[in-house]
Amino acid sequence: MASLSDIALAPSRPARLHLWLAAALVLAALASLQVGAADVTLSALAGKFMRGEALSPLERLILWDIRLPRLAMGALVGAGLAVSGAILQGLFRNPLADPGIVGVTAGGMLGAILAIVLGGLLPAAHLARTGGQLVPLAAFLGSWGATLLLYRVSTRGGRTSVATMLLAGIALAALAGALAGILIYMADDQQLRDLTFWNMGSLAGASWPKVLAAGPLVALALGAAMTLGRGLNGLAMGEATAAHIGINVQRLKTAAVLCAAAATGAAVAIAGAIGFVGIVVPHLVRLAAGPDHRTLLPASALLGATLLTLADVIARVIVAPAELPIGIVTAVLGAPVFLWILLRRKGGLA
Amino acid sequence: MSFIATDIHVRYGPREALRRVSLTARAGELTAIVGPNGSGKSTLMGALTGTLPFDGSVTLNGQDITRQRPWQLAAQRAVLPQDSRLAFDFPVIEVVRMGLQAGTAGDRPEVPMQALARVGLAHYATRSFHALSGGEAQRVMLARVLAQVWEPVADGQPRWLLLDEPVSSLDIGHQLQVMEIARDFARSGGGVIAVMHDLNLTALYADRIAVLAGGDRLAFGPPTEVLTDGTLSRAYGCALRVSAPPPQHVPYILPHAATP
Ligand SMILES: Nc1ncnc2c1ncn2[C@@H]1O[C@H](COP(=O)(O)OP(=O)(O)OP(=O)(O)O)[C@@H](O)[C@H]1O
Ligand SMILES: [Mg+2]
Repeated sequence: MASLSDIALAPSRPARLHLWLAAALVLAALASLQVGAADVTLSALAGKFMRGEALSPLERLILWDIRLPRLAMGALVGAGLAVSGAILQGLFRNPLADPGIVGVTAGGMLGAILAIVLGGLLPAAHLARTGGQLVPLAAFLGSWGATLLLYRVSTRGGRTSVATMLLAGIALAALAGALAGILIYMADDQQLRDLTFWNMGSLAGASWPKVLAAGPLVALALGAAMTLGRGLNGLAMGEATAAHIGINVQRLKTAAVLCAAAATGAAVAIAGAIGFVGIVVPHLVRLAAGPDHRTLLPASALLGATLLTLADVIARVIVAPAELPIGIVTAVLGAPVFLWILLRRKGGLA
Repeated sequence: MSFIATDIHVRYGPREALRRVSLTARAGELTAIVGPNGSGKSTLMGALTGTLPFDGSVTLNGQDITRQRPWQLAAQRAVLPQDSRLAFDFPVIEVVRMGLQAGTAGDRPEVPMQALARVGLAHYATRSFHALSGGEAQRVMLARVLAQVWEPVADGQPRWLLLDEPVSSLDIGHQLQVMEIARDFARSGGGVIAVMHDLNLTALYADRIAVLAGGDRLAFGPPTEVLTDGTLSRAYGCALRVSAPPPQHVPYILPHAATP
């Protein structure tokens, strides 16, 4: 039997969970800085640091220009995808929703493919002006374009129909897939290779410019997402009841869509299509801490960052000195977990 | 202070679900809405709560509800929906706590437990909502609604309970318990509007009854005036007989043509 004092104590539990997850993220980050193709280890570097010796240019290059931006990018992408998943699951009131279903990923894919295949047709001068970031830029615009289109299609008279958005997202993904098919048909061998890698998702192209381009956007989306917790909790009782307890439902839906599109769009732009993070991470958090979005959103950000960082470590060591695209690692680990989630569900898909 | 609906007209596409229905519910009273399936009871609730677009006007404590923000309305009235769904499996106490969002009892953490105790489910606080039976889930949702308007009167203004079929999946004991809660709320100065199917229970607890049929208001008034053979038979399309047995002479409704 629960007494009043048990319930008053409850808020300290999420705080503890967040501490644990933050500690796990630090450990994952250390592991990520430790491993790589080059024989540079943190312990050796720490030893040098203690003895007051300077790092060699090579060591500095590997740590500062290769491993750190990669770590930062993995953490950003992981946090962004996981939080987007948690937001969309709350919005659609379905624990199986995923950034992939609202067309954000499909739009990003179409943008990226357009840039890869048609980018070659652009005059070199135009291409140079994009600083070699044409593909991420196009992917980002594609994600946003898709989301805004969906949002427009599903909003009538100031009210957004979440069900329409879900179905229109499926249609849009199919359309993007068909267009992508045409482009793939036109592509040459090198472009096909680029495309395949982009589709599998990868952190291999990590660089500070990419981190600086996506970082503020993901950070902004995550920050805004943390204010959605109460509203998404209320939405679990349906839109009408959420409004009856005082939530401005239309504003909540708009904010949720914008946050998810910004975080997913930025993640897809720099790392390609990385699957399963958005579904599996929020589910694991719900198992550990329950469905309260005020806990779920920050915890998903931390766990998403941690798991993607670890997946990247696996991607780098498992076939060293080569590396796997990280999307393969998340799919191999995530798909079975996803199936397990499906089979565990009591009430079917309703 | 009252809840006044004037000439409410609601269309779903070409179909008219309510035709210029008016209703005045007073604080201190329990106002019941009855009528056959599809007669527009939930639709009227949708207009009163501001969920549905409608023609006509609804004022709550003297203010037009369409000009108020969701949290301003939430501070004045709580709504029990006809179904009690929940997408994610929250613990019972968290569901009740969601009623506090609008801030009327936000600084009173003891209210959710007291509201659960009021519906007789204090020992269920840490249970999972999805593991509840239909009737238990309905009572937990009632506790959430009670927590939202815990004081029947605050700042000199009555608070309102809008209940859509509050006893639909309850056993007879809990039906009486919930109706007592609703009547107590009204007797303490709050206002209650409840959609009901059980006419005998309605006769026992309602101060005023509105009878809807096919989107029209057939009758509106105290039970003894409204619950008559003619009105009910016309509304429900079957022969019903109303008697008022002593000593209290509360109307009592029986099917007339029931063949044993
Ligand atoms: N979303 C909708 N779209 C179209 N028609 C609707 C919609 N909701 C209700 N209706 C119709 O409006 C009429 C009134 O419905 P309402 O839900 O108000 O009935 P009710 O009196 O609450 O019935 P019940 O006792 O079964 O709950 C019905 O004929 C119903 O079919
Ligand atoms: Mg109804």
